[in-house]
This record gives sequence, structure tokens and C-alpha cells, in this order.
Amino acid sequence: MKLSFSPEVEAFREEFLAWLADNRPSQEEMDADPALSSAHSPAWAREWTKRMFDAGWLVPGWPPERGGRDAGAVETLVYMEELTKAGVPRTTNPQGLGIIAPSILDYGTPEQIEQYAMPVLRGERTACLGMSEPGAGSDLAALSTRAVRDGDRYVVNGQKVWTSGANYAEFCFLFCRTDPDAPKHKGISILLVDMDTPGITVRPLPEIVDPEHPDLNEVFFDDVIVPAENLVGVENNGWRMANGSLAHERSMVWLDSVMRLEYQVEHLVEETPALIAGLPPMEQGVALDQVMSVYTDVMAARCLGYRGFAKYVKGAAAPEQALMKAFASETHQRMGLVASEIQGGHGIDMLGGIGIEADTSWLEVYFHSFASTISAGSSEIQRNIISEKVLGLPRS
Amino acid sequence: MELEFTDEQLELRDNVRDVLEGQCPRSLVRAVYEHEADADARVQALWSQITELYWQGVAVPEELGGLGLTYVELAIVAEELGRATAPGPFLATVTQFAPLVLAVGDTDAQQRFLAPVAAGERTGTVAFAEGDRWELGAVRTTATRTGDGWVLSGAKTTVLDGTTADDIAVIARGEDGVGVFVVPSTAVKATARDVIDPTFIVTDLTLDGVVVPDDAVLAAPGTPGVEEQIERAWQEATVAIALSTIGACRKIFEDTLQYAKDRVQYDKPIGSFQAIKHRLANMYLSLERATALSYYAALTIAEDDPRRAEAAALAKAAAGDCQRLLATDGLQLHGGIGYTWEHDLHFWLKRAKTGEYLLGTATTQRAHLAQLLGLTPEVAA
Repeated sequence: MKLSFSPEVEAFREEFLAWLADNRPSQEEMDADPALSSAHSPAWAREWTKRMFDAGWLVPGWPPERGGRDAGAVETLVYMEELTKAGVPRTTNPQGLGIIAPSILDYGTPEQIEQYAMPVLRGERTACLGMSEPGAGSDLAALSTRAVRDGDRYVVNGQKVWTSGANYAEFCFLFCRTDPDAPKHKGISILLVDMDTPGITVRPLPEIVDPEHPDLNEVFFDDVIVPAENLVGVENNGWRMANGSLAHERSMVWLDSVMRLEYQVEHLVEETPALIAGLPPMEQGVALDQVMSVYTDVMAARCLGYRGFAKYVKGAAAPEQALMKAFASETHQRMGLVASEIQGGHGIDMLGGIGIEADTSWLEVYFHSFASTISAGSSEIQRNIISEKVLGLPRS
Repeated sequence: MELEFTDEQLELRDNVRDVLEGQCPRSLVRAVYEHEADADARVQALWSQITELYWQGVAVPEELGGLGLTYVELAIVAEELGRATAPGPFLATVTQFAPLVLAVGDTDAQQRFLAPVAAGERTGTVAFAEGDRWELGAVRTTATRTGDGWVLSGAKTTVLDGTTADDIAVIARGEDGVGVFVVPSTAVKATARDVIDPTFIVTDLTLDGVVVPDDAVLAAPGTPGVEEQIERAWQEATVAIALSTIGACRKIFEDTLQYAKDRVQYDKPIGSFQAIKHRLANMYLSLERATALSYYAALTIAEDDPRRAEAAALAKAAAGDCQRLLATDGLQLHGGIGYTWEHDLHFWLKRAKTGEYLLGTATTQRAHLAQLLGLTPEVAA
């Protein structure tokens, strides 16, 4: 156990920090043209992604032939820490960079890599992940969007929902059913579908917070023609590919949410004296107890994350990692609640309320947190996973 | 931050656990609970075993006869002793008395009071709380200078091992501030309380003009830095109690999990029902939350990081949250069998609970944390 990393790792941190200082987009640049969805890349973001990729800093953990620098897991973690601290997004298309491009690199043809994966890494194209459907949410393998092979093409019909960034993405990494007779996990394939193909309709779903900037969408496929060469990997093998690559990055997906929690709780602690100033002493005590409880959760999230990561780096089982998603997202939710409630009557104010960003109130933080407790495996699904995979309890 | 044990630390944990499974079986705990005739002798034999293995000297510097390892190793032993609900003088002697002597005593005092502890020859404890507040502001026991020493008068509450420890380090207040004095337990009037977990000896003390010679004064009132030194030592004591509590909770968790796998109703193990699974997942999360924070705290102490005060409060607060959930759900999920005296579950429930009430509850820790972060309630007129 050590509180700090080795000198080699710290040297790596310094090297990246020096590069970052010289190459990062400015705050003014980013504020002037913000990303509007998880597949929207403003000009500065496209340039930034390309600059990082060309310098070997977009995917430092990858080998040089894929644009990385063979950084180890700890170095990659340090790299992510510094990007987050600097307030610079690594990408404005997280699914494209984190899941879609690496999956194509692992399973795609040379042509697919050239036309789809590399452009994502160079910031030239953005992508969305077509997974959830009206009838396939937590039970994702129940998906029913159909792709029927017809000579050298597929004909796709069906509907996706909760598709982040589909309103801006240039192509979709689409999970669809190619064998309706096989057991449900075994009849799924992945197609690369250009979003401007005729027959695709995207309908944004404004959210309960910030409805002017929807990120989630319904996507309808009506006799959409997809060239057969856009099949990724082997037909009917799509489910396995969904769980494929990027072990390194999966081992540190918690980092972003933990750092956001830390940033927010620091803000909350700073604002607390002003928030509770008007309360009678008894209520101040209760408010402080609740704020400290949230603070404890945030510090625990940090320690759990680093502890699980250290185990992962050692090659040991890291059960903490299974806990992180539910814990971090629920902590976020409690923080929004506590911070808004201690404001009393002003907790309901929309603007000018005290929050993480000038225009976001804590109550909105609370509502926004449901995006994390529901999506990508709800908290309930997380508890099933913990109890079955980590604790060894039998399936229901 | 590398928050995982080294291989040597994992080996130490496994060794300690193995030894305790042999030397501190449930039958020993039950003997204590049921006041069996040989209970005291068996507890003494366990302590002899522990001192032969040198666990009492794990974190004591080598020049004082200890092993010179870090606080993390000490924390590992404390967790395992909690897991075994081990009775005996370890917590008071090794996690309270020893760190205090080391923090405030000079070289002579350390040789005189700590070396015998490291050698396993003497035991000790600390008399800190008054009115059950483990904080310097609550200390009212007086220390008055006389010709050749000091005289202590006052009352201390909830002192571990006050009737059994050889030496008691008393925190008392003189004209110039607080000081620390070592008195033999025979010099104080100690009353052992009847508490819910008899593996702890919990006492209240009366000091009625106890005379302390100069060579038993660890720090005279007003010694520069003494308050901070006491607080630092007390951070070690606090994290140790947190880990002892977590050790008991881990055992509750493991037994409850096994019970949920074994117990069949409606032709299925009850652990296949989501109502049960999700509670177990929550218990596990609470346990790991407290564990991660407590070893983080142990590490800040081992590396003498400035975050140690905050980390110690976080650890004890999280251990408190953990025992609340683990005791409640552990007992609930065991059903009727866990409610019986014959079943051993209550040994761990009571160990976990007792740890919460000692050295300040989770609520007290959060209030302390708020102070450390500069947040204090304004007193309205």
C-alpha cells in the first residue's frame, strides 16, 4: 500500500502535463461551441481528438501501430486523472472512442477499420451505439431489430431507443437479430450503418433536465439497406463482441464519475456555510451531518475505485469494480438531494441556484443523476450482478 | 494511490486468521459469554499466544523491541481480532496505550513503558473520555503540581481494561493545558460495567488524589505540541476500533451469505430471491466502503500524511454505517435461528455494535469531520 505512485509513473504524468499545457483547447474555445450530445463534435473537439491521436495521447494504452504508446494501466489512469483535472474532455463521442472504434479494430475488416474506426480516432466521424429497444432494456439480448440477408446486402427493420447521440452521429454500431430461431444470445450480429441511409428516422427524446439539448433518441429502421460487407466479425456472434476488448479502460471507467463527484462535493462543502447560514442551530447540525455523510460516500467511492484498480493491476480479483457503478451513481443522487434540500425554499430555483455549473441547480443534479442509475445496467441489475457474479448467489 | 495490500501484508493477514481460528475458537468466546470457570485462563492463554507471535509489537519501533512494521500491519491484526471477536488486552494495550506513549513520551519514558509492552510483559490502556466524550475539550480531570510530582483527581468513563491493564495513561488537565500521566491500575478505583459484549472489559475510573512521580509523567501540562500528539495517537486508536468493528461485520456478512445459500424455502435457496440478494449486495457494498476508507486511513497514518485526521474520522464514520446495516440485516436474514442464544451470530453482532459506541459514534465522527473541514454550526442568538 502506498499513497503515491512510483517515480516512473509520476514522470509519465509530467510528460503528459507538459504536452497538455501546450496543446489543449482553451476554455474559451470550448465554452463558445459546446458539444450538444454524446456524438456531436464541434470543430475544436475534432481538431483536439486528431491532435491527441497524432501525438499518441488519445489511446496511450494501445500499441504504437494503433496510435498509442504502450502505456501501462497505472500510467493510463494517471493520464485520465490529469485530463479530468484539466477539465478537457478526452472525446466528445465517448461511445465511439471507448467501445465502437476498439471493437471494429478488434473484429472488423481492414476496410471497416479504414472507413469507420480510424475516422473516429482522428475525430473525423462520430458514432452511436444501437443497443436498447422498447422491448429490450435490461434484458438486452431480447432485442428484435431484424436484419435479413438478401444477397450482398442486409435489409434492416425495427426500432432502437435511448440511443445516445443518434441525432448527431454519422454512423451506428447496430446490434440486430440475424437468426430469429437461435437462442436469443446466439442470433445477434453487428452492422455498421451510415446514419444518412434512406429509411432511418431519428426522433430525439427531450429529457427531464435541459430538454433543449436532447441526447437520447428513438431510431426507426424501415427497410434500411446495409451492404453485407458492413457486417462486423462473424454473423450471429455479436453478443460476444459486445463483451470484447478494452480491459484496461473498463478497469477505470469509475475514474470519471469519481472525479466528478469529488469536484462537486468540494463545491458543496465550500457552499455549505452560505447554504445553512439562515437555519436554526438544530437544523444546521442535521444539514452538516447529511453533507458529511455524502462527503464520506465520495471519499469512499474514491478509495473503492483505487483499491479495485490496484487489485486489477496486480492481476487479482477486483470485486470493488462491480460495485462502482451503482455506488457512484447513487452517491451522485444523494448529493443532489442533500444539497438541494438544505437550501430550503430556494432549492427549487432553476437558475442562479448554487450548483456545479452556473446554470445547473442541485435539484437538477439530482434529476440528472438518474441517467446513471438507470442506463448501462440499472442499479437493480448491478445488484443482481454483484450478488451473482461476486457473491455467488444463485440466479433467481 | 495504491490501495491494495502487498503480498507480505496478505500473508500476515492469512497467518493471523489461521492462528486465531485455532487459538480463539467460538468455544472460547462462548466461555467468556457464559462466565465459564476457565474463561479467564483461556483468555490469558490466548494473549500469551499473541505475545509469543509478537503481534503486540508489530508497529513498535525496533529499538524498543518491536517489529518496526507500519500501522497498516497493525490495522490488519486489529481487523482479524475483530473478526474472531477475540477477548483480551490487544486493543487497549497495542492500539491505545502504545501509540500514546510513543507519541508523547521521551526516550526514557518509551523505554520504561513501551518496551515492556513490546516484549509482551505488560499491558496498558488510556483513560481519555469524560462523560463519554473522547475529546480534549471534555477533559476535566485535574493535574496539580506538588513538590515531587503531580496529583490527579477526576472521573473517567468507558475506559477499556481499566480493571485489568497494568498501566493506565491518564489524560488530565493542569493550569497550562492537558498532560499525560502513567499510573498503575492499582492506584485508581475502577469499576467494570456490565456491557452487552463481555469480550470487552469496559470500566469507569475514579481518580481520587492519585500521586504521580515525575518519572511517570509522559507529558506535563502545557508541553508544546502535546494536544496534537494526543490527537495523532488517538487517530490510531480510532482506526483500530473501526477495523475491529469491520472485522466483526465481515464475519457477519460471510455467515449471512452462507446461510442464504444453504437455507431452502419454497424449494429454493433463499439467496435466489431478489429481496435477499439485493440486501446482501447492499451489505457487501457497505462493508467494502468501510474497508476501503479504513485502510486508506491506516495508510495515511503509516505514511504520516496530513490527511490522517480526516481519514480517521471517515473510517470510523463508515465503520459505524457498516455495523448499522450489517447487524440489522445479518440478524434479519438469519431469521429465527440468529435470534437464539445458542447460535453464535450474536457474538459478532454485539462486537460490531460495541465498536460503534466506543470512541465516538458515526454521528460524532461526522461532526468532527465537519469541524476538520472548517464547517461548524453558527450558534444563533
